[in-house]
Amino acid sequence: MVTRVAPDEAQVWEALRGVMDPEIPAVSVVDMGMIRDVRVDPDRIAVTVLPTFSGCPAVAEIQDDVRRAVEAVPGAREVEVRLSFDPPWTTDRITEEGRRRLKEFGLAPPTGTGPVLVTSIGLPAAARCPFCDSADTVAESPFGPTPCRAVYYCKSCRNPFEQFKPV
Amino acid sequence: MDDALRALLLAAADDELVIGHRHSEWTGHAPHIEEDVAFSSIAQDEIGHAAALYGLVAEMEGSDPDAIALGRKPEDYRHAILCERPNRDWGYTLARHWLYDTAEDVRLEALSESSHDGLRAVATKLRREERYHLLHADMWIERVARGPVDGRTRLIDSLTHAFPEAIALFEPLESEHEALERGLLPVPSDELRKRYVERAARALDELGLPTEVGAGADAAAEFIASSSGDLIESDDGADPEPAGRAFGGRSGNRSEDFQPLWEEMTATYRENPGASW
Repeated sequence: MVTRVAPDEAQVWEALRGVMDPEIPAVSVVDMGMIRDVRVDPDRIAVTVLPTFSGCPAVAEIQDDVRRAVEAVPGAREVEVRLSFDPPWTTDRITEEGRRRLKEFGLAPPTGTGPVLVTSIGLPAAARCPFCDSADTVAESPFGPTPCRAVYYCKSCRNPFEQFKPV
Repeated sequence: MDDALRALLLAAADDELVIGHRHSEWTGHAPHIEEDVAFSSIAQDEIGHAAALYGLVAEMEGSDPDAIALGRKPEDYRHAILCERPNRDWGYTLARHWLYDTAEDVRLEALSESSHDGLRAVATKLRREERYHLLHADMWIERVARGPVDGRTRLIDSLTHAFPEAIALFEPLESEHEALERGLLPVPSDELRKRYVERAARALDELGLPTEVGAGADAAAEFIASSSGDLIESDDGADPEPAGRAFGGRSGNRSEDFQPLWEEMTATYRENPGASW
């Protein structure tokens, strides 16, 4: 007879590290700081996800991916994935590893803690170019191809680039 | 059924959905590519914000957020009439964008202190994102106000027209008394309206815009204050009060501009209600 062993929390977190943000496939939902908590009960695993930008269309997909990943953990039975705005997700929640990977992906990591650093022209003055690391950059627009991206131009390597918007 | 909470949530959610729809009409048509992207992105944010607020209604009622957003009849919407007005030209679009986002900041600041946990969390979250809209609107108003005379004139015309209608964003809500008593709405609409008019008028003054812009708004504010929520019934063919048709959105009064917007906005949903995409 095989006895089912409920997974421990560490296994669930490990599985979540394999779930990527579909719009930024280099960074896991854990490194994005989107997982608020994980609760493992003998028959049930509950994961609370904090949506990044509230208008982000990837959130529903992320919710499904999280469910599938946790259901695949050996011993998992019922899985509940909840969305919450409490506390609000902010860019401060992105881990150091997450920031490194954003940059590798070609997206400048958010600077500072959002609105406080936003200058009167609309964006933090100091986005660092993810390609050449220069700080000699100009903000072009606070709105880019997705709700979470702003557009900059690097005067040093002459590349346009995007920054993950601080919120 | 919690009528007070429902009225509070729907007013904010419907504003976001309807103005988001109007903003989205600039996709592919804005004067230049950055603004095309900006208005598309702002539209996406606003509709996302509406979704978060409809989510709270759905949670409370055990219903489907899409059905609340897109499955209602035109007369069941509760947005301010300002939000349903067509985009007209770039000057009007910018004037309304600024008036609306300034008002929204006043509203979200108050709702961030709501006694309702879900609403407080959502309002706090939305306000952080809305900063970008406000910065965008401020930047444009300043640019046009200090720019060449043609643009400035159009901006002034649009503000003069839209400001009185923007005041109606702070019309008293249905069941407002209860919402206040329970702390769902921590500050009366009346007081929010005063804060808004003051803040907007000060900003316009700093930009050297003429006082006529604010005059219509003051008249509208008085009109709303004196009618205390018991608003326009119907119009008997006579000319409405200055921007008189702009009032009553919170109790379901709609202008002729809403029907075509509603038809387009809900067309896909009505084709096959409840379908998943």
